[in-house]
Amino acid sequence: MTNIFFVLSVVTGFGALAWGYGTQGHSEYVRWFFLLGAVWLLGKWRGWKWFSPLALLIVIGSAAYGLWIEISFGWMMFAAVGGLLAWDLADFSQRLSYAAPSDDVAGMERRHLARVGIVAVLGGLLGLIAFVVRIRLPFEVVVGLVILAVLGLTRLITTLRKD
Amino acid sequence: MQRTLFLSLITYVLLLAGLATLRGDLLALCLPLILYLAFGYLRAPEELDLEMDRRIELERTVLNTPVTITLTITNHGADLEELFLDDTLPSGLTLHSGSTCSLVTLAMGASHTWTYTVSGPRGGYTFGTLKAQATDHLAVAGRELRLEAQGQLFIYPLVTRLRQVVIRPRRTRVYAGNIPARAGGPGIEFFGVRAYSVGDPPRSINWRASARHVDELYANEFQQERVADVAIVLDGRWRTNEFSHGHSLFEYSVQAAASLADAFLAQGNRVGMLVYSIYLNWVLPAYGKVQREKILQALARARPGGSDVFAGLQHIPTRLFPPHSQIVLVSPLNEDDLSPLIQLRAHGYQVLTVAPDPVSFELSFLPKQKEVDLAARVVRMERALLLRKLQRAGVQVLDWDITHPFDQVVQRELSRVPVWLQMHGSLK
Repeated sequence: MTNIFFVLSVVTGFGALAWGYGTQGHSEYVRWFFLLGAVWLLGKWRGWKWFSPLALLIVIGSAAYGLWIEISFGWMMFAAVGGLLAWDLADFSQRLSYAAPSDDVAGMERRHLARVGIVAVLGGLLGLIAFVVRIRLPFEVVVGLVILAVLGLTRLITTLRKD
Repeated sequence: MQRTLFLSLITYVLLLAGLATLRGDLLALCLPLILYLAFGYLRAPEELDLEMDRRIELERTVLNTPVTITLTITNHGADLEELFLDDTLPSGLTLHSGSTCSLVTLAMGASHTWTYTVSGPRGGYTFGTLKAQATDHLAVAGRELRLEAQGQLFIYPLVTRLRQVVIRPRRTRVYAGNIPARAGGPGIEFFGVRAYSVGDPPRSINWRASARHVDELYANEFQQERVADVAIVLDGRWRTNEFSHGHSLFEYSVQAAASLADAFLAQGNRVGMLVYSIYLNWVLPAYGKVQREKILQALARARPGGSDVFAGLQHIPTRLFPPHSQIVLVSPLNEDDLSPLIQLRAHGYQVLTVAPDPVSFELSFLPKQKEVDLAARVVRMERALLLRKLQRAGVQVLDWDITHPFDQVVQRELSRVPVWLQMHGSLK
């Protein structure tokens, strides 16, 4: 079941990217997205654990770049959510491979897919709402947010160094 | 949690990019990622409170017998969405069936049991800790715990039942056994004739001797049979056991030592074991089944090794062995071992050397060439000379060609006392 959803997620992620880029006249990227999607599927089959994070990075980066070059937000959000799902399911599938034959794998798959499905739907909806509902932020609030982001980043780097 | 840090990093980069460029759509793109992380942290597992129980089907087994390990884990803490359990196998053991890992959802108070089977070569294996890693379903936040679940498994060497191993130590112990004690008394073997004394059973009267003397009666005396002290020395030196391409005679030596120890203990003797390798491992002499277990455990753990100190047999600590007792050395032998063995003999020990034949062993995996055959002939002659010198010094030698079963060789060579040993043993 996880594998089917993984394939669907990869198709959604890279398909949305390809569609978004293609419809805006950037057809030179489309074949690369199809190729990367195929490599991700192949990588999963061949057990390349390192490829999933790279693929997620590519999907999110491409979505962000797509937004920068004014490609439709809906497709980019769709791509980001698809990439996130595929990355999660690839990791989950790898964790499931450690399960003993007697473990309740089907139950765990069901619960995981339900949870990640809720996250994806809610995330996508929130993103769309945030895009539609536009609020003008005063300069001080933006500065405050930047400071908060920098503090968060510092915390993250500290954690990374500890690890 | 590498994946959480990775996702956080992407989220931060997007956030910073959105804030720096004042693009709301970039910030909106972060929302699924933030939600993913938030969901994970919300369902992060609490402090782990797990109890672990390990059951090993057999604590002692023999080679190539699969042993089932059953692990039961009980959750005394809060519900755990995903609990990954990873049991570490002691090095040397191989997984026969099942899995050492398990992935479960464990509710509060619930238990999970899983089994796997292992097998492995001879050895003593200690099971240690089990890694328990609990995460939420998204594996964003996790907690790890190492649970102590001790267990021991001994895989004993092959023990061949030996019918009879005849030894003649110069001194025996006081308890009745199988070994002629060179003293008159109750027994089976004829020992001598002495003057009849009151209380002797009439059937012990030697009528033929008595007929020659008018006034006196003579009675037959039998040899007492007692138990003896036996020290088995297992030679684990690399220089005698290891050959090219990783071939080793040590397993054969261990098998011989185990079989001999079993046979001597079964005869009621007091047996000790010394493993002479990178260090000395001495199992104090004792009787019975408990001692058999101790010796087999020592043999299970025995490993060949090299040490400058124990390079030669001259460092065998003779003080460990009772005076005039029987020493059984299990060693392929080399030319330097002649004088230490003669010295042992000079100290009054009765020495039996069981020598797995290294020449035929090495020849079995060498190519059949003229040069090899010639070299083998030379080495065989050298070895025959060494063994003959040992026999001349009063050391009993069992040259074991490992292509023949050990019990058959022992049956042929050690089931009766050789004539030369009867001479040496009784005269000295």
